[in-house]
Amino acid sequence: MRNIFLLLAISISMVAKAQVTKVSLQASGLTCSMCSNAINKALKSLDFVDKVEADIKNYTFEILFKEASNVDFNKIRRKVEDAGFSVSGFVATIYFDNVHIRANQPVTIDNNALLFTESKDLSLNGVKQVKLLDKGFVSSKEYKKNAVGDVSNNAGLYHVRL
Amino acid sequence: MKPLFVIMSFLLSLSTRSQELFSQTEPASNRAVGSIGFRLDNSIMDEANTTKINYHLIPEIMLGISKKLMVSGGIFFSNRSEVFRAEGGSIYTKYRFLSNDAVQKHFRMAGFGRISYNNSDIHQEEISMYGHNTGVEFGIVATQLLRKVAISSSVAFLNATDNGGNNKFVYGQKRSQAINYTFSAGKLMLPKAYKDYRQTNLNLMVEFISQVNTGSGKYYMDIAPSAQMIFDSQVRVDVGYRKELSRTLSRTAPNGFFVRLEYNFFNAF
Repeated sequence: MRNIFLLLAISISMVAKAQVTKVSLQASGLTCSMCSNAINKALKSLDFVDKVEADIKNYTFEILFKEASNVDFNKIRRKVEDAGFSVSGFVATIYFDNVHIRANQPVTIDNNALLFTESKDLSLNGVKQVKLLDKGFVSSKEYKKNAVGDVSNNAGLYHVRL
Repeated sequence: MKPLFVIMSFLLSLSTRSQELFSQTEPASNRAVGSIGFRLDNSIMDEANTTKINYHLIPEIMLGISKKLMVSGGIFFSNRSEVFRAEGGSIYTKYRFLSNDAVQKHFRMAGFGRISYNNSDIHQEEISMYGHNTGVEFGIVATQLLRKVAISSSVAFLNATDNGGNNKFVYGQKRSQAINYTFSAGKLMLPKAYKDYRQTNLNLMVEFISQVNTGSGKYYMDIAPSAQMIFDSQVRVDVGYRKELSRTLSRTAPNGFFVRLEYNFFNAF
């Protein structure tokens, strides 16, 4: 029943004139460079990823995408988990071309349905950074604090915050 | 137990950041999915009361099946029987069932099992599924990573049966079972700060390996300090020395050097 609601939410969600240009993620559960390299190489194996810039010292990865590709946030998360680690921070840099978002209504960007948790109408223009709040995209501690519910792997509705 | 406590306190007091790829034990963390690792374990053990050196060579292939499951297989070679020959092999699997991750730290637990075959003669009361006995081993391991320091501890149950080639387990059914206890602590010494995947990593670690035979109550306790270098975030070399601290179990060659070479391919399948 929940999935039907999610699918419904996505199908009625507005397809926005916007594009994900970059994702910056922080990985957790590691210290060694071999572990970091495992994540680096796993991220590079995604077909929509163009380039990965690793900041080994801060355990963060800047992921740049191929042009006109569909960026899938869940696939990125899964690659980090398959390498044996967790995502503790996930910020998408999105270019908005005069997008108006109504409060509590999801908006579809690159096949990802985003639900802004600001609970008010938003008018977005230019480059914005959007933080994902769902389980698997923040630390388990932060997830409990956010209390936004679980993201559905198939339906792909993400709770986000500017 | 006193040296263990001293070294543990020392390592914890230094604790800033960490490493957990131990030489004599496996951590609770698992391999990356789709990665293949090739390992070459060399042990150069000094046979007690003789001038003989026992050389054991174990080539191994390790596969990351899923984020929680890894499988490895190895072949045992040694020169114990006068000629250098293959004596058997083993299959090992590890399943990570708990993982609490935070930035630069984690606590993880895994269950593991090993099935071994060996056709050499049985020459000591010590039971080892890594190049000496035929049988099974299963246990659990817990690993805590805290920045540059990692500590890990495991408990495993071993059950030896007769070796192949009509080599009987000569100490009786009752003494064919044992419990292994391990404690490992490691610290990342270099680099001081990560900038590049090509920087060479240096880890220092110390491990304690103990076995208690459930039938006889006899035991041994070893210490194994080692240094590990990781090149290019892909190639690993461990060099260490295993030294017996105390024992009541009979053992043929408890002391010696070990060298491990490992190469990892990511996204291999």
